[in-house]
Amino acid sequence: MHNKRSIMYKLIYSIFLVATVSGFSQPRLPENYFWQKLDNGLEVVVIENNKVPLATIEIAVKNGAYTEGPEYSGLSHLFEHMFFKANNDYPDQEKFIRRTEELGMIWNGTTGEERVNYYFTFNNDSLEAGLKFMNAAMRFPIYRKEDMEKENPVVDGEFQRAESNPQFLLYFDVQKKTWGDLFTRKNPIGDHDIINTATPEKMMIIKDKYYYPNNSILVICGDVKHEAAFQLANKIFGSWKHSGFDPHQKYPIPEFKPLTKSDYFVKVSSIAATPYMMYQWEGPDYRNDSASTIAADVFSTLVGLNSSKWQQALIDKGLATYAIFQYQTLKYVGPVYAFIAPNPDKIKECHEEILKQVAEFSQPGYFTPQQIDDAKGILLRNQIRNTEKPSTLPMQMTYHWASTSLNYFTDLTKNYQNVTEADIRRYIDKYLNNKPFVAGIIINEEMNKKYNPEAYFKQK
Amino acid sequence: MTVEGVKVIVHPAHNQLISVVTVIKGGVQNYPAEKQGIEALAIRALTECGTVNDDKNSFKDKLDKVSGQVYGTSSMDFATFRLNCVLTDFDIVWPLYSDALTSPKFDEKEFLRIRQDAVNMIRDTESDPQNAIDKYAKKVAFRGKNYAKDPDGTEAIVSKLTVAETKNYYKSVLNKGKLLIVVVGDIDRNLLQENIAAMLKKIPAGPAFKNKKEAYAPAKASFSSTKKDLATNYIQGITGAPLPGSADYNAYQLAMSIFSNKHFLEVRSKNGLSYAPGAWFSGGSTSTTNVIVSTTDPDKYKKVLDTLVTKLKKDGFTAEEVKNEKAGYDTSVFYRQETNDAQANSLVSNEVQFGNWKRSITIKDEINKVTLDQVNAVFKKYMGNITWVYMGNPAKVNPALYAPTAKPLPKSTVTPAKKN
Repeated sequence: MHNKRSIMYKLIYSIFLVATVSGFSQPRLPENYFWQKLDNGLEVVVIENNKVPLATIEIAVKNGAYTEGPEYSGLSHLFEHMFFKANNDYPDQEKFIRRTEELGMIWNGTTGEERVNYYFTFNNDSLEAGLKFMNAAMRFPIYRKEDMEKENPVVDGEFQRAESNPQFLLYFDVQKKTWGDLFTRKNPIGDHDIINTATPEKMMIIKDKYYYPNNSILVICGDVKHEAAFQLANKIFGSWKHSGFDPHQKYPIPEFKPLTKSDYFVKVSSIAATPYMMYQWEGPDYRNDSASTIAADVFSTLVGLNSSKWQQALIDKGLATYAIFQYQTLKYVGPVYAFIAPNPDKIKECHEEILKQVAEFSQPGYFTPQQIDDAKGILLRNQIRNTEKPSTLPMQMTYHWASTSLNYFTDLTKNYQNVTEADIRRYIDKYLNNKPFVAGIIINEEMNKKYNPEAYFKQK
Repeated sequence: MTVEGVKVIVHPAHNQLISVVTVIKGGVQNYPAEKQGIEALAIRALTECGTVNDDKNSFKDKLDKVSGQVYGTSSMDFATFRLNCVLTDFDIVWPLYSDALTSPKFDEKEFLRIRQDAVNMIRDTESDPQNAIDKYAKKVAFRGKNYAKDPDGTEAIVSKLTVAETKNYYKSVLNKGKLLIVVVGDIDRNLLQENIAAMLKKIPAGPAFKNKKEAYAPAKASFSSTKKDLATNYIQGITGAPLPGSADYNAYQLAMSIFSNKHFLEVRSKNGLSYAPGAWFSGGSTSTTNVIVSTTDPDKYKKVLDTLVTKLKKDGFTAEEVKNEKAGYDTSVFYRQETNDAQANSLVSNEVQFGNWKRSITIKDEINKVTLDQVNAVFKKYMGNITWVYMGNPAKVNPALYAPTAKPLPKSTVTPAKKN
């Protein structure tokens, strides 16, 4: 029979004791991760992983919803789409796509609150060709009015697909109420009118503000050698011009205002075949309270344990089919949220139980030292799972490059192991206990009449 | 290897994780339409309703301590029961897995809880239009056939399933004749064999499962619709495709991969009609060709699709497109090998559908042998009459474009959907 402590020790040993630091200004990175900063400010990380003979390359940019005022809402996302459309080397999307086919490439991009990323996976012998392809799309895009007239409805169509899902409708309204005047800074999908009227000039404005090497990171991952990969990166991206300014100093992100009171709403929608409830608080962020961002993850993991009071009260007792409790790490105010699929016959009991649970978070005995240990054990093993798929390693790292730091990313699993009960209590007291929140429920007409949530889904 | 009469496929992982998949063959062939959903509920009960050694909470708490994942799925052609854990935790997770598979308790109180959860999840799926239209398409296309059954079941059926009949159903399908086990992980072979043998000793023998393949070839195009107040409209088309083992199979895989790219280019890039136009070949006991879009202009989409298909049937694909697609296929094969679960899934589907798990490894060579003529011939052969289903605003669609014999939708009942 295994001794748990010895297993944990082995896991920690295998993950951390081999981390490398190879220079004075080098960030801390996991084993087989190599970092350089080119003269133009472009950070390059090479991840050597020869599990399969593929290479994945990714460029991430510190851009996204957080850079968008109302007049640009959704345009970081549209910009991301236009990346795959046309450039000097591949002047229309047919030629662009044909090149991806020639390289046997799997490709995509995403736009979030604080990062836009573009990634390609292909056979490792096409690394130079893949980097040149990425370079052309990143540095020499072509924005034509006629291309945008075709792409605007595509991006709006992505929005409409989301709006056809009741979970998104609820999420969207909760975000509006949580972030108020600065909602667009948390809404990557954007605004219909802004998307549909976007112009090439607006694309160039985004490019000229944010698309610089000193606001980007290039990651080369897979069955590659770091020396050769750095040489290629320098050869191909070395001539990319530094902006001469820090985009985030020049175009600062406004501070999100704290919620001043709790806000409830009931949304009636015919497409909600079953009801959903969401509760959201303003949580910690990396800039102001990085310790609490780590405690928040441990607490969320703890709440997800079958043995937790939360799961026992809501799932074991049949009040809900699922009851997710999560924190999202961000540089600018990360949300803490609960997303619940209540048993329709027990909406009222479920809602009351959620409020009761939240009120008890800070009570002694709400969680045990053993549960903290179990949560840490899960987070330790998550690290092993997270590193299983080589093509996902760049995006995991670049998320943190944009929203925290490479050191934070590298130390995260180790730091989870250092979280104490006091750290978790401090996080709960500062962000959840008696703090205002936004709560919403989406429900169809028939269930709304039957269960009348307006009567109890409100501030008492 | 064969253990206690059951085929066990073991594949190395070169990482710290292990995946085990026990397959119960048959899927929708194992139950009648009036009991659809029973297999999914039974599989869910294995981990949610206690075992001979643990009640539900004890079972789940033990798994939590090592972040062990034990869960099952029920699909059209087979059910799976899965284990995924860190290799060093295997001796903690395996007994829980083995108990759940061989000695589930089906505690009635827990069963009633998960039955309600299953009903809620059926509604949850219905709320997602992408899932909802896929289920709708299968129901319409395969009416009266095995593939019309939904493994998740319907609210009306699942809400009435009893613990006794669900338990009896599980007992009826848990026999060695229906089983296959796939392991991806760097585990000591003798230790694995001992554990599997001990588990299989608790499972009765049974006749070898004989898969019933049913080709789908609609005699004419058809159109069905359902009104939904969505922000956009969804349209899906289904037609036939080669069955596993058919000489056309590999060529059609390539043909549909190329077609998928062209469909994307025409529908999204050139005409801005849809964010996520999909086209794919689904191989199984009933194989299908599928196209799907969400769009505010479904009729224009249909015209674009018709033009594309007609051109391809007339002019064919090019040698360069076939060459490039083979390169893309190589990438996708390696991509699949990145995780244990994906490798296990590939071994399972090749063994169940083709009786040849090695195809998971040799597929790249087989695809490379396919010729341009074969790709063009199979595309013409299978891209035929399409069964269309539509979900959204009826005012936006002209059924006659999809099926010449379809009747116009009654405009008097139409309520314009928002934002179309």
